[in-house]
Amino acid sequence: MILRAVVEVVLVGVLTGLIGVQVVVRRLSFFTMALTHATFPGVVAASIIGVNLLVGGVLTGAVVALGVAALTRRRGQDAAAATGVLVSGGFALGAALVATQSGFSRDLSSFLVGSILTVSRSDLAATVGVLAVVALVLAVCARPLLFAGFDPAGARAAGVRTGGWDVLLLLTIVLVVVTVVPAVGTILALSLIVAPAAAARLWSARLPVMTGLAVLFGVASGLAGLYVSAHWNVAAGASISLAATAVLTVSWTLRRLVRAVPA
Amino acid sequence: MIEPFAVPFMGRALTEIALLALICGPVSVFVFVRRLSFVSDALTHTVFPGVVIGFVAGGIEGLFAGALVAGLLTAVVLTVLTRAARLTDDAATAVVLTAMFSIGVVLVSRRTSYTSDLTAFLFGRLLTVTPRQIAETAVLAAVILVALAIGARAWLFRAFDPAGAAAAGLRVGWLDLWLNVLLALVVVAAVRAVGTILVVALLVVPAAAARMITARPAVMALAGTGLVLVAGYAGLLLSWTASLRYGVALTSASAVVLMLVLAYLLLLPVRRWRDRSFAGGLT
Repeated sequence: MILRAVVEVVLVGVLTGLIGVQVVVRRLSFFTMALTHATFPGVVAASIIGVNLLVGGVLTGAVVALGVAALTRRRGQDAAAATGVLVSGGFALGAALVATQSGFSRDLSSFLVGSILTVSRSDLAATVGVLAVVALVLAVCARPLLFAGFDPAGARAAGVRTGGWDVLLLLTIVLVVVTVVPAVGTILALSLIVAPAAAARLWSARLPVMTGLAVLFGVASGLAGLYVSAHWNVAAGASISLAATAVLTVSWTLRRLVRAVPA
Repeated sequence: MIEPFAVPFMGRALTEIALLALICGPVSVFVFVRRLSFVSDALTHTVFPGVVIGFVAGGIEGLFAGALVAGLLTAVVLTVLTRAARLTDDAATAVVLTAMFSIGVVLVSRRTSYTSDLTAFLFGRLLTVTPRQIAETAVLAAVILVALAIGARAWLFRAFDPAGAAAAGLRVGWLDLWLNVLLALVVVAAVRAVGTILVVALLVVPAAAARMITARPAVMALAGTGLVLVAGYAGLLLSWTASLRYGVALTSASAVVLMLVLAYLLLLPVRRWRDRSFAGGLT
């Protein structure tokens, strides 16, 4: 059981590190938070109907991603507000669906904080599959994604269809969120996606280096958190998320010290 | 349509929502124009460790103080972090949110059955609101409305023209801090009664929906308050009917949120139509 949890933590660390860099660089943290909540009703509905949870999550996530992309093309204020509406609306809808089923309420808190210690063999297989897909997408599409992200106007002028690439990125994030949330919960998912990548960004401005560091930080905080959780008997998800925060805080302090010393 | 609210606890729930409607209409306008939805969401999560520590230290009485301290701390930390350039503001907000919430989870996970605490925190206990809580909310509502009346002009100036506001001698950093503190106060006032999910919805949705029908801040605030009142009434009625007639344990907080979101979705086409007719009028 512990072995499975360790394997899952390593896989999730790699997966979130890979996608986290894109999320941090493109400032999509709030969108990611919204996704963790907005895919919730899809997952609940799938479990009520009896389809694969991953499928339900991905379908709702895709609808949400396209909706956000359509709603927010025009103004910044509306974008933030629409994402906020998704967060609260999605969660409330999921909770309402849960309420129609009796004896379901413990799933609500495991949705928040996850249950990485009870991860199953099929969860592991799903994570491996999604990891392969995401790594492939990010590797193959690295250049256009980078171009469309940093210089949308230039990319459009060069004939790159930025809208399409943006949607591809959003869908990849959906896939990661839907895979990671059942195992580790919404809060830890957000934490593992944002914190290691934000820490990596403090050390390097080059995307490949940043990605490598983010993966490393993600895996390290996962293992450290799991160790702490096993030894002091505290919730695993929460201690992993705190470990990720510690990595960021240490990076931040070190960088400040390094800069304070005249080079 | 009235008689459910003759039952005392339903009447009290409606009173609490009406008080919150008074605050959240105007406050959500600032959330909208300053794009603070993520900050509001973060605040609702970060008061959690405060609630836990407050409860351990001082029982039920300690909840309020703990939440207040945690809320104010978050407001300060978020303001400082988002002004430091190395970390983008959304990443900083996400990290503060997850870190503080995790501290809360670590603290409660030491106790045996923490899932019910978590559920209560998420959905609040709207139907068990006590007269005392209503009094607390009313006092905070008065404080918040006075603060709004004093700061509204400066905050609007800062929202629409930061450079102009700074040039006119306003201290933008302090304005941001005070607005975050105000948000923290709203969250603290509301979170125990109505739960985190409803607080986020109350802070984000009213102005976002009102923006569909008007662009004037004062009108947005009024429309937002009206919307919360209607959605609160409809949501409570829905949850009452669902529980009694159909045996579906729909929490009242989620019902109110769903009503608010429904209003937002229904108003979306209005915005489309307004934009189109506006553009047509210009050309």
